[in-house]
Amino acid sequence: MAAKSILFSKTWIVIPGFNEAKYLATVLKKTLKQTPRIIYVDDGSHDHSAQIAQKYLEHVIIHEVNLGKGAALKTGCDYAFNFLKAQAVILMDADDQHNPAEIPLFVQQLRKGSQVVLGARSLFSKMPLVRKIGNAFTSAVMLILFWRYIPDILSGYKAFTRRAYRKLYWEATDYSVELEIAAKIAMNRLQFSLVSIKTIYHDLDRGMSIIDAIKVALKIVSLRLGL
Amino acid sequence: MSIFQIIAVFFALLMLYITRVHTLRQRFSMTETFFWYSLWLVFIVVAVFPDLLRGISDLLHFSRVFDLLVVGALMVLTVVVVLNYFQQRANGRKWEEFIRQRAIDHTKKK
Repeated sequence: MAAKSILFSKTWIVIPGFNEAKYLATVLKKTLKQTPRIIYVDDGSHDHSAQIAQKYLEHVIIHEVNLGKGAALKTGCDYAFNFLKAQAVILMDADDQHNPAEIPLFVQQLRKGSQVVLGARSLFSKMPLVRKIGNAFTSAVMLILFWRYIPDILSGYKAFTRRAYRKLYWEATDYSVELEIAAKIAMNRLQFSLVSIKTIYHDLDRGMSIIDAIKVALKIVSLRLGL
Repeated sequence: MSIFQIIAVFFALLMLYITRVHTLRQRFSMTETFFWYSLWLVFIVVAVFPDLLRGISDLLHFSRVFDLLVVGALMVLTVVVVLNYFQQRANGRKWEEFIRQRAIDHTKKK
């Protein structure tokens, strides 16, 4: 498929969520202003997230058991590419940390021919210090081990085409999916473009602890070793 | 007979009882039943007559039979842990695939 043939009408938004009742309605209302093509994957929520999503959307996929963000994303992408015949997907978080008004920027990059588009928050933005350090640390470890600089790896706002998805197909079921996607971009030498995205933080965001940083480093090392 | 030998014999008898319970509930195949009964019976024999293994422990330069048993048990435990880890990962993947496919199929039917 020629990258330039990517159509907005064939681009779907995939939003995974677990207990996101607090912000989900807001996120969906804002996103629906941009596109009606939204898939929400409820990852075994205990609250009424799925019911909220069903009020707004036609395509709500429900995991009966919580599997993790990586598995929910994979379900959404499989559904979009295999069942809805999407040409590209844009991944967003359900906690209102991403601005849906930036969706056209991702589509624009896809239409320009990018296989992968990564949303990157500026290190000079209002991001909490621990987050900035965590992001810089993750990118540095990735650069050392994969010899490729990828900024803001932990951002969940990204887009890719069907062709790229075949190469990115991840095994991680949890939050380390962002690391695995970055590692696969590096390993498969996929070209990516960046979209500068707004930084939105809420009360639930705690940033990265030292233990998280160690886990991230170990995960990147295991990806490098192909474990 | 030392206290350790007595504990070992009681432990093996308990495991024989557990093996019997699982056999009666038909959770084991014939081969598995034979394996577990043999294992615990051999365990009792070795616990009561540890000198039976003297030849092997001397050959491997262990000063005591007990040391040989400890090393052997650790090796078996390591193998079991590693096998369990891989089995658990494989099961996790199967469950993940099943739950994801079920969710997609359910949405498609709507």
